[in-house]
Amino acid sequence: MAKYVAKRIFLAFMTAYIILSLTFIMVKLLPFNRPIGGDAQQIAYFDKQYALGYVYRVDHEQPQYGDYLYKSPTDHGRANYYYQVPVMTQYVNWLKNILTKWDWGYSKTFQPNVSAAVIIGSRIGYSIRLNIFSVIFSVPIGILLGIWAALKKNTMTDHTISTLVMVFISIPSFVLISFVLRVFAYNLGWLPSAWPTESATTLMKVKGYIIPVFCLSFGSICGYCRFTRAELCEVMESDYLLLARTKGLTRRQAIIRHALKNAMVPIFPSILAEFIGILGGSMILEQLYSIPGIGKLFVLALNYKDYDILFVDMAIFTTLGLLAGILLDLSYGFIDPRIRMGAKK
Amino acid sequence: MKKKVLCLLLAAAMVFGLAACGGNDGSSEQSSAESSESTPSSTPAESESTPEVNDTWDGAYIDADDYKAYISNDLDQIVTDISEQLTAEEKTAVDAAVASGKEAIAAAGTVVDVQKAYDAAYQAILDCIPTANGMISYSDRDNQERLEMLGVLETYAYRTGTAGLPLFENGVTELFNERVTLGTENYIPGYGFGTLAEGSITADLDYESNAAWKRYYHTLNASDPGTLNYLNDQGSEVSDFYSYIAASYFTNFMNATKDGYDWVPELAMEKPVALNDDDGNGTATKWRFQVRTGKEGLKYTTGSQLESRQAFNNREVALEDYLTPYKLLLTQSNQLFRGSEMANNTTGAIVGVKAFYDGTANGFNQELWDKVGIKAYEEDGKSYLEIEYTQEMTPFYAMYYCNGSLYMPIPQDFLDLVTVQNYLGFNLDATETPVDNSLALGSYYLEAYNQDQEIVYKKNPNYVFADTKYNIEGVHIRIFPAAAEDSEASFNEFLAGHTDVASIPQTRLDEFRNDPRARKTTGDSVFKLNMNALNEEGWEQMFGENGTVTQTPAAEYWEVEPALGNSHFRQGLLLSIDRNTFANARGSIASVNYFSTNYLWDPEEGLSYDNSDVHAKVIAPLTEGTDGAGYSLELARDYFRVALTELEADGAYTPGTADAPTEIKLEVAWMYPQHEENYHNEIKAYLETAFNDASVSGGKYKLNVEFWVGNEWSDVYYNKMMVGQFDLGFGSVTGNSLNPLDFMSVLSSNQELSNSFTLNWGTDTNDANAYPIVYDGQRFSFDALYLAANTQAIVNDGDSKDIFAFNYEPIKKNDDGTYSGAMEITAALPDDTTLTVTDVVCCDYERYNNGDGEYEEESVEFTVEDKGNGVTYVTFTVPAELAATYVNGNGTSEDPQGATGFDFYYDYELAGKASAGNYYSTNDNFVVE
Repeated sequence: MAKYVAKRIFLAFMTAYIILSLTFIMVKLLPFNRPIGGDAQQIAYFDKQYALGYVYRVDHEQPQYGDYLYKSPTDHGRANYYYQVPVMTQYVNWLKNILTKWDWGYSKTFQPNVSAAVIIGSRIGYSIRLNIFSVIFSVPIGILLGIWAALKKNTMTDHTISTLVMVFISIPSFVLISFVLRVFAYNLGWLPSAWPTESATTLMKVKGYIIPVFCLSFGSICGYCRFTRAELCEVMESDYLLLARTKGLTRRQAIIRHALKNAMVPIFPSILAEFIGILGGSMILEQLYSIPGIGKLFVLALNYKDYDILFVDMAIFTTLGLLAGILLDLSYGFIDPRIRMGAKK
Repeated sequence: MKKKVLCLLLAAAMVFGLAACGGNDGSSEQSSAESSESTPSSTPAESESTPEVNDTWDGAYIDADDYKAYISNDLDQIVTDISEQLTAEEKTAVDAAVASGKEAIAAAGTVVDVQKAYDAAYQAILDCIPTANGMISYSDRDNQERLEMLGVLETYAYRTGTAGLPLFENGVTELFNERVTLGTENYIPGYGFGTLAEGSITADLDYESNAAWKRYYHTLNASDPGTLNYLNDQGSEVSDFYSYIAASYFTNFMNATKDGYDWVPELAMEKPVALNDDDGNGTATKWRFQVRTGKEGLKYTTGSQLESRQAFNNREVALEDYLTPYKLLLTQSNQLFRGSEMANNTTGAIVGVKAFYDGTANGFNQELWDKVGIKAYEEDGKSYLEIEYTQEMTPFYAMYYCNGSLYMPIPQDFLDLVTVQNYLGFNLDATETPVDNSLALGSYYLEAYNQDQEIVYKKNPNYVFADTKYNIEGVHIRIFPAAAEDSEASFNEFLAGHTDVASIPQTRLDEFRNDPRARKTTGDSVFKLNMNALNEEGWEQMFGENGTVTQTPAAEYWEVEPALGNSHFRQGLLLSIDRNTFANARGSIASVNYFSTNYLWDPEEGLSYDNSDVHAKVIAPLTEGTDGAGYSLELARDYFRVALTELEADGAYTPGTADAPTEIKLEVAWMYPQHEENYHNEIKAYLETAFNDASVSGGKYKLNVEFWVGNEWSDVYYNKMMVGQFDLGFGSVTGNSLNPLDFMSVLSSNQELSNSFTLNWGTDTNDANAYPIVYDGQRFSFDALYLAANTQAIVNDGDSKDIFAFNYEPIKKNDDGTYSGAMEITAALPDDTTLTVTDVVCCDYERYNNGDGEYEEESVEFTVEDKGNGVTYVTFTVPAELAATYVNGNGTSEDPQGATGFDFYYDYELAGKASAGNYYSTNDNFVVE
């Protein structure tokens, strides 16, 4: 088991390494927008890039390095020119900076010269909290609806739930939020129309979670409901459940003691995967609801071409995704003892 | 005559067309266009599906008489534009030249012959008027004369395409929360409604959960500026946020009759006093301002809870604090954008600031500061700031030029504590916010700054007018990104009672236009489709690989559309847009003006330039014979016919067929993706409807107007218009609304003059022959008259010149191992100039760049030869030992090449005015053999 876990962690590390490496190289190959004008913040930024080994800094134009990235005036009308170091050399320096100094670089435009890791650190809490609440909210509701539908299979209740699930699973969270905002924030005035600020009262802050958590959870609820219903229906038609009933268990006992337990085997691991899915889906929702999380930051970093922030954000999403994958696989073994991880054939 | 008849018929057609429209609602655009098309036309061409032309005439789209009438009209327009500035003698000569030109045009048999006749007449007109020469300054002229100069410069802009294609003034209809009482119900241009200064809030905002902020004025902003450091910002957003906490020497408050505003001393205590008004005409270069300090009760305020910052709360303002912002801005090593701008400003320049800025790349220099014309001193117990300008100023402009929140006092020890880099912003680990790194003297101070969430200001009890003005307790600005994505988002917030003000979006205008809470504003800017009217050659000269503005790799050259270089095509575009319908549907104000109503030709009396007769004359070609806002489909199509006739004659285009028309493609660059729906589709429809009508070219040409948008709103400026990569680009620049004559700088193709804010490109603005600019009986280039009007110009043959032209001869090795080079310096005004070369310094810059901290500098031997006629020849010698110390690498950071430069220091006297400590720098990456 330990060997299997170690192997999975190693593979996850390698996967993350490949994803981040490809991201770095491809993003660095994108065309660069040259900033205009002499600006202390821009100069400080490019000097930091120089110190990190991502740009050359020379005092006169060097066309052999291509177009210069930035020109900063120095003295008597002269200037320093910053040129891009070859991408693979940058890549090596990038790895070196992370591994030896844990230096992920600095923001260029979003919060000029502030460490990318610091910026992410100040925002990740919002996204994590939001997503945890969303999972807490969506799992029980989704599973309960699924159970209800399964128990009422082929009745009007089942058809209604299944139809609604099919309808609502098709609605993206950012469409849903527009509707929810219109009704509950603008028309009824029950809930805030944007993420409450730091200075808001606790009650307002609590209310602030309702719309985004609901909108983030909606797809998950439908997903869990559909999944649970399908698993439970399958289990309920199995021979062992029939055997349980013939042994004298009531329907209720058979469902609670046998059917639900077995149906949950594939459902519980999916909760972890769902967590990651929600994290990705919150990018647009964070933007629409003014939530200062890392999902919104990802979009802003792309818009601002603030690549160092983008890399850290990407690293977090990648790591979380891979970590969830490992936990997902390992959890099968704990939930269903028949599954043995890394056992020899 | 023919032209007049044509205009009358057009006017009749317009009346008929408007009557057919029967209204001014959103649907009138299409009806107007349709009715115009069905109206009996004034020219044979319009009544047929294809143009009818004379058999012997080679112009394909317009008959000979009509074409000649238009070209003759161009000559008349020139005369109209310049006649008031001509002497009687010049006028007679010009009239004769025009009469002769018209005769030649009438006699011409082909399009090319007409053009030749026009060119000859144009040259004859130019020849009638002498070009200006010498050192010329009109900077001390009164407002009436400044108005005339402004009109002359604006005329040039309209005739050469550099005024762009005005669309609308950004006035809006706003709704105010009923709990807000405005200072005035009628918007005052340049001032507003006096909401904060004179208004009040009478009830709580229920939505605000923080009890202390319920009576704050609540607004939204789409993005977080990230800093309040206006000193280092190029846009206007940061400036707006900074203005709440900032104070100036003078401020404005609404007047007693609530229809204008007064200038009131704020940090100053009285209006400026001239110190050297020797001729008694009220103008002077040296001005004294009595300023408030702690003795008069002026104190700083901070909302920071950090102990180190609390020490500055309620601290009295010291007189030397008035000097700190100037030192901060002008010390070049601080690299503050507004400092660079101030140092390079020619208008309102202060003595010595340029030299100080240039000499402080390595930090503050006391010796140079002592020569700057900004002094602070006490006299009879009063505190004074004395400012010496390079040019004479009237009292108003003496006050105006030094009046900015940039110059708000700061204690030096506060700057030392927070550091220049963090001043008014966040520190690197974001543990200090702008609340901690700012001090307020303005009406509010920063109370909270939660990044990406909210910025909150609280009333400053230490503000000079705290007892009488700014009664609203605070201002709460919520960062609301949805506003950038959805034009209705902010309005929904307002309707839900979450904010105090919102503009009515286009889609809700009809619903709320007459709402009792609605108030109409004028705009601070006219939004335009800025134009790239350069021809291929002109574009390459400005933006090519060796461009004078920017340098573009050959593979990225912009494909210039030749049609935009044709003045008649541009006029056709201008006349194609129904601005009234367009603006009305958006709640803004239709405009063919370059400036918004806020720009005043007489700032003391509050007289708007747009309402002046001078401006009316400039825009007459757009307002006469049209709907008054520059729209006439018939005229537009006529101009297109003229343009196509000329463009074909020039060989710029070859006609296609109805099945395969020749395409004229114009790309319009916009700021936001939603502009496609909000603006582009309608503009495209206007332009294409006008041009693609069968009566214009019979289908041989097709205008295709395309949409472009960047990733950020500013891309349209920085990646398109400022670097010439566009046909038409949406945007505007706002400037000194109290000095529009100064703001004309943004029309210059000279990037030093425009501070790189040029958005429209036409001809070289330093070419006196581009379009006749006549003032004071002399011809000028645009740049020359601009400089003369605002400061002084050295003019040679009408064009602006630098005092000296430098021609460097690269260094060569001598037989004895030394190296020699030379510099030829030519004075623009030899008779009025004396030059003294004081030093030649050899510098090794790579040493500095590699961390040694200072240049290796050494004076070298030089000789000076006066070659006569203003030419001075300087030769210098670098000793072999000195040359040998320079490194010779491949030029990378790791292996420096040893970039060497030579600084030539010189003093000069121009027309009796001495200037010392000037220099000219040149690079010479010579290789030591």
